[in-house]
Amino acid sequence: MNVTTNAARLVRQVLAGEVWPALADRHAYRVGPDGQPFLLPGMGGVTLGVHCADPATGYASDHLEPGASIRHRDPGANMALQFLTCVGNQVRVASGPAAGAVGHVIGQHAYVLADFPDQAAADLAPGDAVTVLATGQGLALPDHPAIVVKNCDPGLLARMPGGTRPDGRLEVHVAARVPAEAIGAGAGMISEYANTDLMGAYQGLGDDLSLGLEGLRIGDVVALADADHRYGRGYRDGYLAIGVISTGQCMLFGHGPGPSTLLSGPADAFCLVDDPEANLAAWLHEAGAGPR
Amino acid sequence: MTAADGAVPRLVAVNLLGVVEHPALGDTPYRVNRDGRSYVPAGDGGIVMDLRLGDSVFGLDGDHAAPGACLVHPDPASRHALASYACIGNPARVRTGRAAGAQGAVVGKRGEEGRVIVAFGQDDLARLRPGDEVAVRARGQGLCLPALPPGVMAMNLDPDLLARLPVDLSPGGDAGGLTVGVRMSVPSRLAGNGIGRPAVAWDLDLQLPPPGPGGAGDLALGDLVAVTDLDARYNMGYRRGWVTVGVIGHGASPLPGHGPGLTPVLTGPVAALRPVPDPAGHAGLTAAMLKLQ
Repeated sequence: MNVTTNAARLVRQVLAGEVWPALADRHAYRVGPDGQPFLLPGMGGVTLGVHCADPATGYASDHLEPGASIRHRDPGANMALQFLTCVGNQVRVASGPAAGAVGHVIGQHAYVLADFPDQAAADLAPGDAVTVLATGQGLALPDHPAIVVKNCDPGLLARMPGGTRPDGRLEVHVAARVPAEAIGAGAGMISEYANTDLMGAYQGLGDDLSLGLEGLRIGDVVALADADHRYGRGYRDGYLAIGVISTGQCMLFGHGPGPSTLLSGPADAFCLVDDPEANLAAWLHEAGAGPR
Repeated sequence: MTAADGAVPRLVAVNLLGVVEHPALGDTPYRVNRDGRSYVPAGDGGIVMDLRLGDSVFGLDGDHAAPGACLVHPDPASRHALASYACIGNPARVRTGRAAGAQGAVVGKRGEEGRVIVAFGQDDLARLRPGDEVAVRARGQGLCLPALPPGVMAMNLDPDLLARLPVDLSPGGDAGGLTVGVRMSVPSRLAGNGIGRPAVAWDLDLQLPPPGPGGAGDLALGDLVAVTDLDARYNMGYRRGWVTVGVIGHGASPLPGHGPGLTPVLTGPVAALRPVPDPAGHAGLTAAMLKLQ
């Protein structure tokens, strides 16, 4: 993105985490939009075979988290890991058979989500230590003071198309535009943690549930209408939030594929360009093969 | 008794124990409001004085302030059960402390860790202290009324309260379906915290601006409000052609994505559940209805 930033002033920090197990309880079932009970994998552990540029929906899964789901055992250290890690940060496996493998952060979901090449992911398991090179919080665009940047590695921002236009607006390429009606679980949460579930993407279920979002892909950059994520996540007429789809298929009602927030500000500070290629895969990863 | 008998299952009443909450803050008192300014939250849980059913949700500079006392339980699972089983209109009796014997009533609930909001007379409330024990006679989940049109589900509602609310249960009617008097009807895009969560255990914060230029009308604690295109049967989520009606149980919040809290009581397809807004004359849940002082 052709835009002036304060990237040279950002701190880089080495953080530690571990691949976290999938969690369940002894009652097993959750409930879908029509009351259907389900038990489906997707959260926690290492979810294989789904990468940036792959469809976000169409799997027998709930809260699909592509790649490795990462936390820290200490609650305070975990919040630092979740808050300070940014989309695009490098993640290196530090123990186990996959030690040395390198992936990238694709988002947050109360876990740090890191995508790895299939071969490395196949050797990853819960308990494996990972090292995150965290940088990005505090990233600012001096020529666009109304726009707040968060959760975004400066290297990722540099690779994205668009930038400052002659009219002063920030050009951002997006693969999809999301109506305010789609905002599901995650509303009211802080925007440096987890993501915003999008409703209306229940592939194969009723038309009355659809908001036309069944075509989203993992890694897509999307624009959320009337969303203000500068200081949390709320509805605000005339504002925009830009995020990257970091989680996929949900069966739980009121949930769905979720963008991690990257940018937010008044809609008139942005110039959106519809671009089906606006996906992390174009800048950080190879489609279907994990990170470069 | 089974559905095959054509009979309605009888409701079970359960005595639950709640403990009057003390507000809790972290190492820093500050939160960040929707405009990026810091503030110290007041009234977010615990005992709030001088706030009554019928007062504006925008009347105090509080954060989720509720009319009365919030009940919790020290054990997380017991706390979730308290929040899930307690229903609006359930009687609550203070068991310990200077207010022992005082009678209140459930007027709403809050999600996440779970809180039950109980209204008391102001004299009783003044004698109440965080840590006091309050028994809630929980009854209402599973409510199934033959008078409800097919597709309409009730929840979070004491069965004895339903007839006192502005709900027309008379059969027939020109257009059919159930009519419910509400203060206002709001679109689902204003649904905030609580969306995607179970309606039996959470409330739904409405991202409503205060009244005034560009704002909506005023809204009072205890008001019934309808949310269009919202299905609350399982989790709360978007469904075109559905509507959910709830009772406003707590006041506004400076936090983005938060606002006055709606505890859902009825949900159904629009053909069967028809809210009738009355911005000026609406009366929802009142202290008189609950026989509070």
